[in-house]
Amino acid sequence: MRDTEPNDQGQKADTPLDRRMLEALVCPLTHATLSYDAERNELVSKAAHLAYPIRGGIPIMLEEEARKLD
Amino acid sequence: MTDDTMNPDGTTTHFGFKTVDEREKAGLVHGVFTNVASKYDIMNDVMSVGIHRIWKDAMMDWLTPRDGQHLLDVAGGTGDIAFRFLERAPMAQCTVLDMTESMLLEGQKRAEAQRQSDKLDWIVGDAMVLPFEDNTFDRYTISFGIRNVTRIPDALSEAYRVLKPGGRLMVLEFSQLPNQGMQKLYDLYSFNVIPRMGQLIANDRDSYQYLVESIRKFPDQDTFANMIRDAGFSQVKYRNLSFGIAALHSGWKI
Repeated sequence: MRDTEPNDQGQKADTPLDRRMLEALVCPLTHATLSYDAERNELVSKAAHLAYPIRGGIPIMLEEEARKLD
Repeated sequence: MTDDTMNPDGTTTHFGFKTVDEREKAGLVHGVFTNVASKYDIMNDVMSVGIHRIWKDAMMDWLTPRDGQHLLDVAGGTGDIAFRFLERAPMAQCTVLDMTESMLLEGQKRAEAQRQSDKLDWIVGDAMVLPFEDNTFDRYTISFGIRNVTRIPDALSEAYRVLKPGGRLMVLEFSQLPNQGMQKLYDLYSFNVIPRMGQLIANDRDSYQYLVESIRKFPDQDTFANMIRDAGFSQVKYRNLSFGIAALHSGWKI
């Protein structure tokens, strides 16, 4: 199921998102699929021109918390 | 109920007994839960004299979790419902969604302590615009969360959308007592005792004052059942808990 090992020590702030979670999520505004920007640790919705942050392994799927893309 | 709730231009809503701009409510509710996050579980115990545990167990009895099911628990906070679901169905998968990051962080810590992290996902999101595809989940729960949503019909439509055909919605929420005398007694208790307890335990009277007021504003059992039907659900039923202090509502996506 998972391609990352369970982490008993707790997730670090920069922990990347596991693939299963990424596949389950869509943009809440457009329902378009998201792409994962590993460098910035963001979920990018091209359709909505928004990048949703991931903090402590938790995706923040709120428009007001997302970074606007040009 | 005042006219504000049904304001046709939809620009105002309730924040407890105060009428506020719709755009403000999410932020105000967010403030309440950020304030109470770390002591939320303890406060729930104290406020309901532990009865919320019995109600949540009653919810599980009716919901009958099964291995292999994927639960979405909205307004899931620290994961109270998700952990109960996993107790009864250890091979289930739970996604916990909440507006308040600090509540999810508490839940995540608990999951790690119980070595259950691989069965739980934690997502910050809005019940009115869920970040999931259609037909994704087997079960949708929302426990003491729906009354805090700005537009309840939107949240119910989203629940319907993300449930698979054959999927089930279950809502646990404070409700109305069936007779005036009992309601009066309960109001006396809730308006006088709970905000004081909030002050004592969480040092936050205002947040608990809001909780009490929002409970009183929430529609009664039959009105809420009709709202669930309006969202598309079938076989909508409810069960009163503790005479109607709380109620469970169930509906199916056929």
